[in-house]
Amino acid sequence: MSAPTSTRTAKSVRRFDGGAVWLVVFAVLIGVAMLAGICLGRLSLAPTGVFDSIMSWARGAPIEALEERIVLLVRAPRVLIAALSGMGLAIAGAALQGLFRNPLVSPDILGITAGAAFGGALAILLGESNTVLIGSAFAFGVVALLLVGLISRVDGRSDTMTVVLAGVVVAAMFTAFVSLIQFVADPDSTLPAIVAWLMGSFASTTWFRVGVAAPPVLIGAAGLMLLRFRVNLLSLGEDEAKSFGIRVQRERWIIFLLVALIAGGVVSVSGIVGWVGLVIPHAARLLVGPDHRILIPASGLLGGAYLVAIDTIARNASAGEIPLGVLTAAVGAPIFAILLRRMYTAEARA
Amino acid sequence: MGLEGQAGRVFVMAAIAALAAIPALADPVTITDMTGRTITLEEPAERIIVFPVPWSSTVIALDGGADKLIAMHPESKLAIEEGILGQFFPEAHDIPSDIIAGGASKGFMPNVEAVAAMKPDLVIQWGNRKDDGVTPLANAGINTAAIIYGAEENARQIMTLAAAAMGHADKLGMLMKWRDDTAKALNDRLSGLADSDRPKVAYFFYTSPEYQTEGKSSYMDWQISLAGGVNAAHEIDGWGSVGLEQIAAWDPDVILLGSFEPQVSVSKIYDDPILGATKAANANRVYKVPVGGYRWDPPSQDSPLMWMWLANILHPERFNFDVRAATTEWYVKIYGHEPTADQLDQVLLLDMNAKGAGYDRFVRK
Amino acid sequence: MIGLRGAGVRYDERWIFRYLDFAPGAGRCVAILGPNGRGKTTLIRALLGFLALSEGSRSAPSTVGYVPQATAAIVSYRVRDVVAMGRVAQRGLFATPSRGDREAAAEALARVGLSALGGQRFDVLSGGERQLVLLARALATGADVLILDEPASALDLRNQDRFLSVVEALRADGRHTIVFTTHLPQHACAVADEALMLYGAEDHISGPVGQVLNEENLGRLYGIQVRIVDVEATVGGRMVSGVIPVFGGTAPA
Repeated sequence: MSAPTSTRTAKSVRRFDGGAVWLVVFAVLIGVAMLAGICLGRLSLAPTGVFDSIMSWARGAPIEALEERIVLLVRAPRVLIAALSGMGLAIAGAALQGLFRNPLVSPDILGITAGAAFGGALAILLGESNTVLIGSAFAFGVVALLLVGLISRVDGRSDTMTVVLAGVVVAAMFTAFVSLIQFVADPDSTLPAIVAWLMGSFASTTWFRVGVAAPPVLIGAAGLMLLRFRVNLLSLGEDEAKSFGIRVQRERWIIFLLVALIAGGVVSVSGIVGWVGLVIPHAARLLVGPDHRILIPASGLLGGAYLVAIDTIARNASAGEIPLGVLTAAVGAPIFAILLRRMYTAEARA
Repeated sequence: MGLEGQAGRVFVMAAIAALAAIPALADPVTITDMTGRTITLEEPAERIIVFPVPWSSTVIALDGGADKLIAMHPESKLAIEEGILGQFFPEAHDIPSDIIAGGASKGFMPNVEAVAAMKPDLVIQWGNRKDDGVTPLANAGINTAAIIYGAEENARQIMTLAAAAMGHADKLGMLMKWRDDTAKALNDRLSGLADSDRPKVAYFFYTSPEYQTEGKSSYMDWQISLAGGVNAAHEIDGWGSVGLEQIAAWDPDVILLGSFEPQVSVSKIYDDPILGATKAANANRVYKVPVGGYRWDPPSQDSPLMWMWLANILHPERFNFDVRAATTEWYVKIYGHEPTADQLDQVLLLDMNAKGAGYDRFVRK
Repeated sequence: MIGLRGAGVRYDERWIFRYLDFAPGAGRCVAILGPNGRGKTTLIRALLGFLALSEGSRSAPSTVGYVPQATAAIVSYRVRDVVAMGRVAQRGLFATPSRGDREAAAEALARVGLSALGGQRFDVLSGGERQLVLLARALATGADVLILDEPASALDLRNQDRFLSVVEALRADGRHTIVFTTHLPQHACAVADEALMLYGAEDHISGPVGQVLNEENLGRLYGIQVRIVDVEATVGGRMVSGVIPVFGGTAPA
């Protein structure tokens, strides 16, 4: 028998195994973003003052001066929640895109975001705030996932397409309910509150909220990180995964649950933060490749950096807070378009 | 006030003149609403439905009674039940408010059939949302006058429109004159005021989930300016959310909490680690906006009282209006009822505002 | 060992196959033949445990080396990662490729002759190379049983040759039980010890290749005339059975 010779097609291998390099770059990026976030604000503070405040807190001194309060009670939790949310949503998006083998998938696909949005809007309509709002948003996020499960699972198994469609249905239902709430809300006061919340904002972040959101987001993200190679396996399709002895159904729902923890956690304290879960994994994939061992952490770091940068702009560009939803798309879309074109041009010419 | 203001004044004057020329009550009334639509009534309206929340109270005020108001927005009803108007006009408690589509308690979409069934002569509706709330009514053949919110001029036009519809030229004239006189008094006393002497005032109509304020084109911005202050949020256009850091950066001299959140008290500001460090909090200059015939933050027939109240607070060295006396005097003229001392305390929110600097001026003697 | 006993699968009222006993001996290579639509895929899926039997029983080891047709997902992972995947999957939910996995993968790649392609992305490989990588993956799992679904059916002749050479080498080695489906009887002649021919739901023939793959059986199976001619091959000087379908006898429907 003849020795096989490798026939290479015209496409060359564009990226070296330098995925790890990108991880370092992204880690630096998120570090810089968080640094900028904590140093920049409507109240001008010198960076030295910022560091002094942090050092003073680290030494255990009580927080007194206004500068310290701003840095430690306003900026710090906000930067942290932006980083957590960006990281969590991007990781969730990357995992789902791998699982569904579909580039149009984001954490919203399972209806969780719409459910959580409804929970929050309902709370605002009823005049509740803070704890009740957070609890309601999280609860309805989980309810949405349960509904998706109920609709799509037949005899203990669910088809990918059916899950996606069930997610669309559940999301549509909750979105309609949210519209209904907006419809009945008082245009003088409640409606602006609901609209503002739906558009996503970290403006009212406190350490309490960080404490609420951090555990589910971190647990979800950590779980997905541990499963990053598993996502590679699951992305091969049900048959092949099954042939390896993987219990596809069970593992899929584990991943959905982890995503629900992340999405529910984020929406409950910050409203709907879109875009990050859909586009950041793509941007990361363009740079580091499809292997989820690198892609998932890369998405996380990039997502965190991105959202911190966006939020810093949202609260500094003008006196009024710019809604996150407006900025993430407005800034992200051109950057992503450029990235996409560059990659596409390079591939087309190779 | 500018060109707009002058045009508005002319409008008002012309309307009053036109009204005064009406010899008999049975003559047809033609009104032009704020989107330019002309409505002709065979005679002054006897059956009026009002959607926009503050203006039901205006109809009651102009008419001196609740007879002509046959239905109102559920939020107006709430304000009436909670406030002094419900005490002056107990019959107002019986006025139906199921005019919102779907039987809702908030919103602006009309339940057209319910409205039509009441056979109104005139419906006053929000025109800010373009045709959404107006067209269904107009299509059903109901006379609908659309109003648009804005600053003082808009407020006057709305009142003029309501007065014209009912044929109450005198009362309107009296209310307009009061506004003019009060504004003039304020302007005169504040003449020569340096910008640096204007206290910075931050107003929040909503405090959760975020602090929301009104900027340069809003009525509150104008009111604050009239009373000798400057709106901290003046750089914002329209309404918007503001973060704690921005409020700290403004470091307002006075903070006003709107009346839309009755359960939120001034302690929310004092207890906040950031807001409690502002000049306003340190000087105890955090106040909750009173609720009279209607809430005093948005424009209404009660506005001059708000201006006096605000002027007392912002410039205690220049102003010492007897707000209690003025309220008593004018409530008699407007609503035909004299408020008791307890009712005045309730209007001025004495329990919530007790800690406020200089609030002893508003305490009964 | 892998096998089906008295097995039957049906969809609604229609039986795909019934009363089927299928138990390849250890180390044997069995080809499953039949025209498209006769149930080859269903049988494979039943054997793999992907669908439940309506009747009968299945026995199978915990790990089976499955080689699907290379039309699966667009996979752009590196070849050496793809090969390691099946093996890593066995080691638990959070497992990532270990040194042992990487070594086993390298070894499997060497067995299929593709050591040079370890660092390549899977989706830039040719069809033939991909098929071999999937075979390597199955080998790397360490499974004793290999099940191949229409391997080489969509490849060009040279790649068919390449693939079949590797299968032949595995068969000769004797350490794997190999089952594959094909609609090319020539492949069965080339590498299989035994053949199972599916005529109908309850009509099947099985036996050694030399015995059952004759002109009459094949002609009946495919519905056209088939001639078998033994020729001497230039490579190696051996005698090879050529299965020649005689076209031209079927009128258009």
